[in-house]
Amino acid sequence: MTRKAKISLGIGILFLFVLAANPVWGQEGNATAPAQAPANPPAKPAENLPDAPSSSKTEPSLSDLGFSPEETEANARQQALLDKRTHMLKIHQRMGLITTIPLVATVVTSMNAGGKNTSSTSRDLHVALGSLTGDLYGITSYYAIRAPRVPGTETRGQIRLHKTLAWIHGPGMILTPILGAMAFNEKNNGQKVHGIASAHGPVAIVTAGAFGAALLSVSVKF
Amino acid sequence: MTKRKLAAFLLLAVANVFAANAFAADQQWILKQSTLAYHVSHPLHQTDGVSHAARGKGVCHDGQCEFLIAVPVKTFDSGDSNRDLHMIQVTRGAEFPMVTVRTRLPESAATSATVKADLEIQFAGQTAHYKQVPFQLVTQGNETRISGTIPATLADFKIDPPSLLTMPVKNDIPVRVEMTWGSQ
Repeated sequence: MTRKAKISLGIGILFLFVLAANPVWGQEGNATAPAQAPANPPAKPAENLPDAPSSSKTEPSLSDLGFSPEETEANARQQALLDKRTHMLKIHQRMGLITTIPLVATVVTSMNAGGKNTSSTSRDLHVALGSLTGDLYGITSYYAIRAPRVPGTETRGQIRLHKTLAWIHGPGMILTPILGAMAFNEKNNGQKVHGIASAHGPVAIVTAGAFGAALLSVSVKF
Repeated sequence: MTKRKLAAFLLLAVANVFAANAFAADQQWILKQSTLAYHVSHPLHQTDGVSHAARGKGVCHDGQCEFLIAVPVKTFDSGDSNRDLHMIQVTRGAEFPMVTVRTRLPESAATSATVKADLEIQFAGQTAHYKQVPFQLVTQGNETRISGTIPATLADFKIDPPSLLTMPVKNDIPVRVEMTWGSQ
């Protein structure tokens, strides 16, 4: 046998060795995994789950699924923005509920604040409750308006109605006390409430109705 | 031994090595379609958040298949943008943007009508394990449809129950799973 033939035979034997070490048809081999089994197999995951995922090298990883880095990476700034938003909207919700109490009381006391047979005490109580309602409403709306917006978010669902109703009760909450003050002065001067001041009642009813509807729009599913 | 015989032997050996690699290659499963829906109960209303954005892969080896399914938290849509943003906030979805589910099933399970899987779910920075969750399987050709419900709870992931009008939601947030897998 020549020297070249000996080298070729050596390479051939090496291939045979590779074949022997790398099972072809059996169940134990893996073309991509190391041929030798680890001396100490990996411990079973927590709680000894019989079918729990192992830490084998064949296990697919998140990078195999093709998500973009923007989708998978943590965004601490975004989380802080969401935390602040939720915090402010929680205060908005709480203040809105608190505002409901003097609002209802203001509507109830309005029965004795107008008309011919009313006392100045009833009107004063109505004015005081109305002022309290206005102040609390101002705080409530502040936390809604100042809550940070999340870029790229389209307003969908019942929150849309909640926000739309703010365009009714918002101006109403400004207009109602102005008209109320005009009506109050006219009444105190012994005059019959007239002109634009006479719209105080209807504007207040629409405003209170829109406020109640806004409260229900985020509370009850319809 | 002649040079020709040696060359032929070497060629055969190389061909065997390639054949070995080809036949020992792992079978894979790819998630083709999915609907994942969580359900939240509140005294005033019920809500479902749905996502179709899950991606998944399964790799089979030694008669066992390792599955990974992942879905971005922000893809769940409850029909109300405000609620969805609150959900992302309370689950810390910007800090932990993915929900991942890992499980291991025997390769033979693909032909069964039902299968019970042990799930490892990472969500909101926590890892929860669910034992023997039953799923129904329907196989048609190369596709297998899997459906079932994961009995998740807020406490499993240390999530404070959000409240509306001072009333918190229920702790149970069962997740309905409908998936279609294709084998390769």
